[in-house]
Amino acid sequence: MNLNKYPFLLASVILSLSIVFFNVSVMAQTKSAQELYQRGLAATCANCHGTDGKGQENATMPKINQLTSEQILTQLKAFKSGARTGTIMPQLAKGYTDEQMQTIADYLGKKQ
Amino acid sequence: MDRRYFLGTLGALAAYPSIGSATSLNKAEIVVVGGGYGGATAAKYLRLFSNYTAKVTLIEPNAQFVSCPLSNLVVGGSRSIGDLTSSYANLKSRHGVKVVKDYVASIDRDKKTLKLASGSTVKFDKLILSPGVSMMTDKIEGLASANQSGATIQAWKAGADTVALHQQLAAMEDGGVFAISIPLAPYRCPPGPYERACQVASYFKKYKPKSKILILDANQDIVSKPALFKKAWAEEYPGMIEYRPQFNVTEVDGKTKTIKFEVQEDIKADVLNILPPMRAGDIAVNAGIANANGRWAEVNFLNFESTSAKDIHVLGDSIQIAPLMPKSGHMANSHAKVAAAAIISELNGWDINPAPVLTNTCYSFIDSQKVVHVASVHQYNSAEKTFKTVPGSGGLSPEPSILEGLYAWGWARNIWADSLG
Repeated sequence: MNLNKYPFLLASVILSLSIVFFNVSVMAQTKSAQELYQRGLAATCANCHGTDGKGQENATMPKINQLTSEQILTQLKAFKSGARTGTIMPQLAKGYTDEQMQTIADYLGKKQ
Repeated sequence: MDRRYFLGTLGALAAYPSIGSATSLNKAEIVVVGGGYGGATAAKYLRLFSNYTAKVTLIEPNAQFVSCPLSNLVVGGSRSIGDLTSSYANLKSRHGVKVVKDYVASIDRDKKTLKLASGSTVKFDKLILSPGVSMMTDKIEGLASANQSGATIQAWKAGADTVALHQQLAAMEDGGVFAISIPLAPYRCPPGPYERACQVASYFKKYKPKSKILILDANQDIVSKPALFKKAWAEEYPGMIEYRPQFNVTEVDGKTKTIKFEVQEDIKADVLNILPPMRAGDIAVNAGIANANGRWAEVNFLNFESTSAKDIHVLGDSIQIAPLMPKSGHMANSHAKVAAAAIISELNGWDINPAPVLTNTCYSFIDSQKVVHVASVHQYNSAEKTFKTVPGSGGLSPEPSILEGLYAWGWARNIWADSLG
């Protein structure tokens, strides 16, 4: 087929492909960028609880990567509301929004 | 239109998403200068956040990492420096960071190269400086020569000097005086000098009970955890510690062990720990990026890029801090993660996270076991382009406790592993 005879067809094919590739690309980037955002936020816990919540064997902090997302979120909310007492965590939990806590719990929680 | 042209167009379209993204990340030479809490964490997290695709080199002059947090326990003699020392080996073997033991002598900002003390040259596309602080020894007359003779030791960077300061205390006769002077804030580790006084007192109480401690503070009042420290001094070490605010040291005589002040009479002591004002590490100052009063580096808090040099990012104690942001190891580790994520995003062509979060926790040992803490959460404020603490969050310990002493060691083990392991 000589596409030069069908300029509108050529244009529409290129446009459609552009949209498809652009969308695939944006979706892939969005997914990766979103995952990086989640990892970055969850990394604010790593200073005390270890990278990805995997603390050292001889450390005293709870190994939060052994909890499910639901368990982590429940504890974070309890610290924030004051229902659960503690030393540092009640003070730090009050610095996060509920949405940020959800993101952290989703990322760090033990995958079933 | 022939088939080759058409396929070429397709290829160009297919290639579009990767232009300036994966290619850039894969090709970029990222160099981190300084392997402390900030630099080591940045090197590791650049690798983690890029799913091990970023090329990362860490340049650090010391063979091993020695933690400043907890090093006052070495000054007080209840711990050894080995307890605070970690290897850089895991950054290489587990995380694929190229670790170079060398010292960066100079930076050519235009050519984007570093000159190392060994003579070699290193190119960079992205540079992360985490050089800590330098002591402004010249601000106190006589301090340089007193340091040289060994009459004064700062021990504000953990290592051989930390051990040497303890040895001076051990050699002092019972009934002697230990004097520590504190510069105007900001300086590295706000509660550090007051914790050091506790550790020296803990040592004196056990081994040299007739001895005294003088805290000579240039600030109006205790800079961090004031009520907790005052209570601990009164209850744990009655009559041993004397706190004197607004004592600004101007001169020290190493031969006669005399300290001179802006206003007050001279004071003599047996062991002198004179902390001069501090500024960003030498390499940041020499590279011309310490653009806040010539002392600290101003950064864009979304990615920690210098406000005076594109593609040069600055972390940790060297930066001009946001309100209520301490110069601490924990904070440097937090900076590093925000910067690493932003750099990976930028090199991938993604938007940078517009709402980064930092946390801080500082534990201070009152004796060899009991601890008090201060904690804070810092959220980025886009209107003011800075980090601000979240109202209602953060806080202090109600009182010293052994439980928090255990947490302090747990924190140390986990943050060392988070930064280096």
